[in-house]
Amino acid sequence: MVTFESHSQPGVSTLPAARVRRIIKEDKDIFACGADSIFLVSRATEYFIDSLVREGYEFARFDKRKTVQYKDMAKAVQSIEQYDFLSDIIPPTVTLKKTSAAADKDSNE
Amino acid sequence: MSDFEGGPANDDELSLPRATVYKLIGEMLPSDITCAKDTRDLLIDCCNEFIHLIASESNEICEKEAKKTIAAEHVLQALKELGFEKYVGEVQEAYEEHRVQQSKDRGRKSSKMKNHGMSEEELLRSQELLFAQARMRFQQQQQPAAGADAAGQ
Repeated sequence: MVTFESHSQPGVSTLPAARVRRIIKEDKDIFACGADSIFLVSRATEYFIDSLVREGYEFARFDKRKTVQYKDMAKAVQSIEQYDFLSDIIPPTVTLKKTSAAADKDSNE
Repeated sequence: MSDFEGGPANDDELSLPRATVYKLIGEMLPSDITCAKDTRDLLIDCCNEFIHLIASESNEICEKEAKKTIAAEHVLQALKELGFEKYVGEVQEAYEEHRVQQSKDRGRKSSKMKNHGMSEEELLRSQELLFAQARMRFQQQQQPAAGADAAGQ
C-alpha cells in the first residue's frame, strides 16, 4: 500500500534530477532519457523507499523493537516477490550460531 | 568510525545523496522509530538498484517501440511489468502536476518581460524615471534634517 504523501509536493521530486539521470545513464544500453522520465523514475523511487522502509518497520515492530535493522530489511526482501531483484544486495541473514558452526567446521578440516 | 562502511565500494560509483535519503527515511517512519545507520546505507543501495531496474526495463520497452528516448509512458509501463503497478496511479498524478508546474514556470519566465507592452523608447523612459526616483530617495536619505523639516510643515 502506498502511503507516502506527507511532505512531498506533487510536481516536485525530493531526489535531485541530475543525480538520478547520471545513475540511469550508467547503463550503456540507454541512449537517451527524457526529463519527464527522470521525474517519473525519481517519484517511483520515492514510493519504493517508502514501501521498503514500511515493510522493514513491520518486522521490527513484530519483534517489539524501535530500531529498524538489517534483518528486518532482509525479511522484507524475502517476503515480497517484487523485491527479488534485491536479493543480492540484501542476502538473507544467517544466524550467528550457524556461522560460528561453519567456522568451526572449516578450522577443523 | 565503524569499520562497516555499507556504502559503494568504489568512490566512482554513483548513488543518491545520503542526506536526502536519510531525511526521506526519517519522514516515512513514525517519530519514535529509528533506522540503524547501516540499514539506511543499505536502503540507498536498494534505491540505486531500483533505478537501474526501472531504467533498464523502460529502455527495453522504448526499444521495442523503435524509439530512442525513454518517454514517460515507457516508465509507467515498466513499473507495471515489474510488479509495481501500485505506484502507477500516484506516479501518474504526480506527473500531471509536474507538467502543470513546468508549463507555469515556462510561462512565467517568458512572459515576465514580453507582456509589458512598451516600446523601446517607453522602456528607456521608464528606466530613466526609476533612476531619477532612486536618486531622489538617496538624496533625501543624505539630508535627514532638511527632510524632517519639510515633513513637519
